[in-house]
Amino acid sequence: MNSIFFLLPIALILGGIFAALFVKAARDGQFDDLDDPPERMLHD
Amino acid sequence: MAAAIIRDAGLERYYEYREEYAPRPGPLRPGWDAVPVTVCDDGCAEVRLVLDGLRCASCVWLTEHILQATPGVEEATVSYATGRASLRWDPETVDLGTLAGKVAALGYRPRLLGEESKPDQGLVIRLGVATFAALNIMMMSAALYLGWVSAMEERYAALFRWASLLLATPVALWCAEPFFSGAIQGLRNRVLHMDLPIALAVAVLYVHGLVSTLVGADTYFDSLSMLVALLLAGRMLEGRGRRRAAEAAVSLAAALPPTARRRVGDSVEVVPAEDLVQGDLIDVGAGEEFAADGVVADGEATVRLALITGEAEPVVIAVGDEAVSGTVLVDGALTVRVERVGEETTIQRMAADLRAAADRPVRLSMADRIAPWFTAVTLVAATLTATGWLLAGESGTALRSCVAVLVVACPCALALSKPLAAAAGLGAAARRGLMFRSADGLLDLVDVDTVGLDKTGTVTEGDLMVVGADDSTLRIAAGLERFSMHPIARAIVGEAVERGIPLPRAEGVRETIGRGIAGRVDGADWELLAGGPGEVVLRNREGEAGRIRLGDAVRSDSSEAVAQLAARGLDVVLLTGDHKDVAGRIAAEAGVTNVWADVDPAGKASWVRARQESGGQVLFAGDGLNDGPALAAADVGVAMGTGAASSVLVADGVISTRSLKPLVSGFQAASACQRAIRWNQRRSIAYNIVAVSAAAVGLVNPLVAAILMPASSAMVVWGSSRIEASMNGGRA
Repeated sequence: MNSIFFLLPIALILGGIFAALFVKAARDGQFDDLDDPPERMLHD
Repeated sequence: MAAAIIRDAGLERYYEYREEYAPRPGPLRPGWDAVPVTVCDDGCAEVRLVLDGLRCASCVWLTEHILQATPGVEEATVSYATGRASLRWDPETVDLGTLAGKVAALGYRPRLLGEESKPDQGLVIRLGVATFAALNIMMMSAALYLGWVSAMEERYAALFRWASLLLATPVALWCAEPFFSGAIQGLRNRVLHMDLPIALAVAVLYVHGLVSTLVGADTYFDSLSMLVALLLAGRMLEGRGRRRAAEAAVSLAAALPPTARRRVGDSVEVVPAEDLVQGDLIDVGAGEEFAADGVVADGEATVRLALITGEAEPVVIAVGDEAVSGTVLVDGALTVRVERVGEETTIQRMAADLRAAADRPVRLSMADRIAPWFTAVTLVAATLTATGWLLAGESGTALRSCVAVLVVACPCALALSKPLAAAAGLGAAARRGLMFRSADGLLDLVDVDTVGLDKTGTVTEGDLMVVGADDSTLRIAAGLERFSMHPIARAIVGEAVERGIPLPRAEGVRETIGRGIAGRVDGADWELLAGGPGEVVLRNREGEAGRIRLGDAVRSDSSEAVAQLAARGLDVVLLTGDHKDVAGRIAAEAGVTNVWADVDPAGKASWVRARQESGGQVLFAGDGLNDGPALAAADVGVAMGTGAASSVLVADGVISTRSLKPLVSGFQAASACQRAIRWNQRRSIAYNIVAVSAAAVGLVNPLVAAILMPASSAMVVWGSSRIEASMNGGRA
């Protein structure tokens, strides 16, 4: 059970990395327009 | 910087008026000098912009006053409902770049109509971070709650609590910031905002958790992060609706050609349309639009007035007739003596009326109206709880119960009630072809008792179509008309193609304006001539060989839609600028009994107002620029998406298919949506009463709160999801 003392921080750090990636994606405009892209391919 | 501008302009009062912090200044859009502006007779320049980031009425007040206080600005008005600003300034004194810079420095992002707007990225990031934290905290909380059952060593429990604190800190201090700033702005304005009880709950939860972690007691961090994530999700849904509303802005200037061919003696010169003055003679050819209003001085031509009157059938005009700006000359050629130019033209005056009508006021949501009561009741309940337990001599329970009351009273479910139901209702209507700009438009449908329908393009197809012809006549006619751009020609060729008739070759085709077409097909000479209203006659040497009847056909499903509207107890009325007999025939086909014929655009609007004055709630559906005044006057205006862009500008909703059936679905969605909102609000208020009572008597601990609070939100989500189900079941 002692393993949890280093596994939990590792899990949180990994989670934190993904959260940071999400923030970066959002800043880059990944979620700016959720409606048009699925339809855009039909307009070609 | 913004503060300096505000102070310099002597507008410190903004700080009392504003309800929310202004967003940070965004980067300035380069190239304001290149923006096309309208220059008026008195030398003033005019432009209309969209301002992003306006969040409250005081933002509007501030922006207007800052602009009006700028030297050189003649007029500045900002509309909160649409986020649009109209500016009028003296270009000698100040330029648009400076004005845009002032607005941008206040933190609002000015942009041109039609330019892309960006959603609030900050909200998305806050929601993502809060969700991430909530899910992780929940897993650790689950371990802690299970620890109550089979004893957990204190060092593990402490680890989970500290890790939860670590995750909950950014949620409480950063993700929940919109609620704190909303509550603070509300307090400054002495308004108890819905954000206040939310902010209160978040603050109490966090401080309580912080202290509990230090002393090794149970925390409410799971409820806290879940709450913030759910509320942010609700806020994002609401924001999406409002942003779409501002997008439908369309400039009517596009309907006017930028240049005109002006007669100079026996020659012509190309001049910018704004240089035309009264008395000029301009030449207009096939396919061109009239740059100004005038009277035909020479020539004969067919023109399509659809933009102004909404009627598809082209009319022939000759010397002495009026030519209206923005209408299209189909064939022939004219010389027109200019009578009215620029702002004075029919189309520009109609456009100005529409723009004025598009700026509508906003309404307070019910959640905001009950917020003050809610906050007051919560605070009183918390105080009573604490006092009661203290009088009973149990100070430990007093603190715990007081915290529990503040926590479970968080109006999460109540705050989510409307946005969730509205999003579901709008989605249900949109999937069936009726898109609304805002939930208010949809909900207004519930009270509507009168439906006014425009004829052309709304009940009917709006295009000239062949309504009666035999195949052999159609074949010859289509061969003759194959290369003509005349609307009648396109209707005939289109019908022939539809019926699968191979088009024959025609030779020596000659077209006579306003008369007909002649040529050789299959070795014989043919003539296709106008023959009475809505009819063309095909002739050969022996005489008449066949007739083709043309007209505007009623949409195949119009009568069904009208019957369904009538079955809902609505008074359906057909309004048209057309003659009585045509209107009567269309009405009979569509199943409408109440017909108003020979109604001009202003007449449609005054019909709407007359109905409203006699206590009615009116929905008007139409498609042309001519329907604009009626659409704007109606309680709910619905434009046909296939119609003029300008009618979409003033309408509350848009039908995206060529059918009236979406209107029926809209009524169903509206009543389902209203039922869901009422259901949600009743359930969440009932939940709060039960939960607060339980908390007051000391029955609520962190585990109970962690189950109760998401459950109340889930209840609201479920209530909203029933909208789609009830529409599919046809119960609505």
